Amino acid sequence: MAYTGKVVDHYENPRNVGSLDASSAQVGTALVGAPECGDVMKFQIEIDDETQVIKNAKFKTFGCGSAIASSSLATEWVMGKTVDEAMGIKNTDIVKELSLPPIKIHCSVLAEDAIRGAIRDYLKKNGK
Amino acid sequence: MGIDLMSFSGHKIYGPKGIGALYVRRKNPRVRLAPLIFGGGHERGMRSGTLNVPAIVGFGRATELLKEGMVEENLRIAGLRDRLWKGIQSNLDEVYCNGHPTERITNNLNVSFAFVEGESLMMGMKELAVSSGSACTSSSLEPSYVLKYIGVTEDLAHTSLRFGLGRFTTAEEVDFAIEKIKKTVLKLRDLSPLYELVQQGVDLKSVTWQSHG
Repeated sequence: MAYTGKVVDHYENPRNVGSLDASSAQVGTALVGAPECGDVMKFQIEIDDETQVIKNAKFKTFGCGSAIASSSLATEWVMGKTVDEAMGIKNTDIVKELSLPPIKIHCSVLAEDAIRGAIRDYLKKNGK
Repeated sequence: MGIDLMSFSGHKIYGPKGIGALYVRRKNPRVRLAPLIFGGGHERGMRSGTLNVPAIVGFGRATELLKEGMVEENLRIAGLRDRLWKGIQSNLDEVYCNGHPTERITNNLNVSFAFVEGESLMMGMKELAVSSGSACTSSSLEPSYVLKYIGVTEDLAHTSLRFGLGRFTTAEEVDFAIEKIKKTVLKLRDLSPLYELVQQGVDLKSVTWQSHG
């Protein structure tokens, strides 16, 4: 599998690896994918209640280099965006940025699911 | 040995590529084969076509060399293979050898490193030429069907790597590989949500996964 420099860079230096307190009302958590499919992403965001801006994001990913890179990139992209803006991030944006080959497109879909899942979890927690 | 048919490849024994041999049992009972290639009736009609003499000579010489050194060489390679497996086991938890522990060819070791996906593991060990039983390396997204049929579960099949040792593998290279494997697995387990869940005492089988089919 030939990877672009960006995928390799995210693989070698993944951004924002870690965990946030899933029990906090300001934190939204998503766990997407399945071990049998070879990809699992845990994606967490911390949101400012006042401004609805995502001020922190963390991830952990079990999966191939593209899956790691897609989720790492997603943490970078959501930070500083409002919840509504982050909802607008599309998997095709990730494919483009990382030049993912067709067979790796599902990694970007999973990252999009992860972003939306974490936002939905936050909204649900706060009755929105 | 109770063999009906047995095929041999030149390249598997450090001989030339593109040449091999087929053993066909002659009696008790005789194995009858229908040819796939027709023409001049070469090789008793079983495989027509002009014979590749240089490759045949090369293959013959390779089998001669094999006969001379096979027993010791197999012992040496098995020793290195065991050294590799012991080194992996003593450095990492949750690692599994796929296939039979002793009834296997001496130069092969197939290991599942739980909670770490095989392709990402290969990506972190560019110095090692290994192959992955997981999907992502090939054009298919399915893990190796061989692993599946020998009883490896699908989640563990995604975490497997195949190590091949050979005539030119040294103990130093094996030790280098062990170090490299250890470092990369530990790095990726730090990144693995599955490892984190297990550390927290969660049974992964109890989790409802949102898979995309």
